Amino acid sequence: MEQFFLQLTNGLTIGSIYALIALGYTMVYGVLKLINFAHGDLFTTGAYLGFTVLASLALTDHLGQLAGIITLAVMVMIMVGMIGIVLERAAYKPLRQSPRLSAVVSALGASIFIQNAIMLIYGATFFFYPQDILPKFTIGIFGIEIPIMRCIVFMVSIALMTSLYIFIQKTTMGAAIRAAAIDQDAARLMGINVDRVISVVFFVGPALGGAAGLMVGMYYGHINFTMGWVYGLKAFTAAILGGIGNIPGAMLGGLLLGVIESLGAAYISFAWKDALAFCVLILILIFRPTGLLGERVAEKI
Amino acid sequence: MKKLVMSLILSLILVSGVHAASDFIKIGLMAPMTGSWASEGLEMKQVLELLAQKINTSGGLLGKNVEIIVEDDAGDPRTAALAAQRLSTSGIVGVVGTYGSSITEASQSIYDEEGIIQIANGSTAVRLTEKGMKHFFRTCPRDDEQGRVAAQTIQKLGYTNVAILHDNTTYAKGLADETSNHLKTNKINICFFDALTPGERDYSTILTMLKGKKPDVVFFTGYYPEAGLLLRQKRELHWKTPFMGGDATNHPDLIKIAGRDAAEGFRFISAPLPQDLPFRQARTFVSDFKSAYGKMPNSIYALLAGDGFRVLTHAIEKTKSLDKKAISNYLHHQLKSFRGLTGRITFNDKGDRIGDIYSNYMVVVKTSFELQQ
Repeated sequence: MEQFFLQLTNGLTIGSIYALIALGYTMVYGVLKLINFAHGDLFTTGAYLGFTVLASLALTDHLGQLAGIITLAVMVMIMVGMIGIVLERAAYKPLRQSPRLSAVVSALGASIFIQNAIMLIYGATFFFYPQDILPKFTIGIFGIEIPIMRCIVFMVSIALMTSLYIFIQKTTMGAAIRAAAIDQDAARLMGINVDRVISVVFFVGPALGGAAGLMVGMYYGHINFTMGWVYGLKAFTAAILGGIGNIPGAMLGGLLLGVIESLGAAYISFAWKDALAFCVLILILIFRPTGLLGERVAEKI
Repeated sequence: MKKLVMSLILSLILVSGVHAASDFIKIGLMAPMTGSWASEGLEMKQVLELLAQKINTSGGLLGKNVEIIVEDDAGDPRTAALAAQRLSTSGIVGVVGTYGSSITEASQSIYDEEGIIQIANGSTAVRLTEKGMKHFFRTCPRDDEQGRVAAQTIQKLGYTNVAILHDNTTYAKGLADETSNHLKTNKINICFFDALTPGERDYSTILTMLKGKKPDVVFFTGYYPEAGLLLRQKRELHWKTPFMGGDATNHPDLIKIAGRDAAEGFRFISAPLPQDLPFRQARTFVSDFKSAYGKMPNSIYALLAGDGFRVLTHAIEKTKSLDKKAISNYLHHQLKSFRGLTGRITFNDKGDRIGDIYSNYMVVVKTSFELQQ
């Protein structure tokens, strides 16, 4: 039983990162009906920018640990968000009226561009976050020892997701985003600046992805330019699982995928972990083609 | 008339091509210049370029300059097959590389069809030399040898309940199988045998499972990035059971990934590190390398690549020809106890290197690897 709960917490930690990245996919899809394949690489960008800022500004020395890390996270989120906006202007906006396939190809191109740009700027070797900035002790919950960082990763992800949910549901901008997701032309007729909505989506999604990249970098300690691939793929799966275009769906899908992965690995077969996760995805899509919480039929990308 | 002009132009191009080729002796290097093993590949390139430069400044080889042609295999079988095709059409005599066994396997038959001599430097999977290929050699030892040493070490340390973890790559699976066979014949219990997925960041699931099996020792046969993460997350779980690794964990980045405290006490089976090599050739080379690049060579595989290059150029010099058959014949039968950077080199009929170059290492000092006899 202790094993079960331990594996559950492992799965929730991994899943919360997937969920955070999945939000970027799902938000962009919701508004533009486009899979932003470069999102995994924006996640990598977040990890690298965090590393650079941490190494060059020594924030934790000047501001103390907690304040330093929070400042770092905010800076990284803003920077990655800006890159997201630039990406949209450069790679997607010129293609908004073209067939959908062109935009997908452009997204794949942007992904290769960012990945290789990171490799050329930083080099192909591993980079290492400083080891001493994070607490290392474990906390006991119901007699189970859980490393504190796992709880923090989980809680930060949940907090970011909750604030996103509130932003989408309670603010005027959130309402505009929802309106643009339903019907862009009608939204425009209602006086909504759809271009601005898209910019906001391309700021918020990558910002969350960048935050996930920073967390992965800080927690797992090392980063390289290919790290976005696995996470991007898993998060994309999570977004589909929960119903792409649906924000609570991405959160649920991410957490579920993490838990399926770790429990499947622990109780069925470790080597078949990914195969099991994808089997579950296929099963869910057979019975609910729109994903768990999806309403619209996912058209082909 | 038009035909005549065309054929003249064509023959000119052909002649100039042949002419350009005869100025240089081209030797290929297929190595991971990008991807997760990029730091290994970059060092292999540095070693080969340094060795080639040395030959070229002291009169060249058969009176010609040696040119290294580098192709990136990205540590990926598909990319390696493309790299091998490009290299085999670029007029090389032989190719040095590569690091991972599954990567080498993808390129082997492409070189073999062209009769190009391939000297692998890090590919230790047994079956690579069991295919009867006439032009394939390797300067690194095989997994069955490493498996034997690993099993011996595990026994010597008195462990009786062993967990074995690999990553499904040709190399890691082979080493895991070999070790487990040796252990089973010696009646040592294997309580866990499975694979993880390389390239991920979180291995807490498998660590939690392993911890539940209560092994005396965990033997991980994969590569250093995963080994480092396993150690790092093992420490987080406050789990004290020792870990051991195969020779692919022999890389200083392991300590950086794991963190110094988490890496302490980790043992691995490997050929010695460059700075621990006792041979005169090695010491001269290491100091040359340091003065050329301002740092010590980190990876033994880079030096094994260097040895591949050195035996190849040695064979060209001795046979005084670029005939690939003559060269591989020389390497198979006439090369005896060549003084390599990593010790004496002799090849058997299969192209395997004869002799025992494994030693048992342990991370005792937190900042560097230290040799343990």
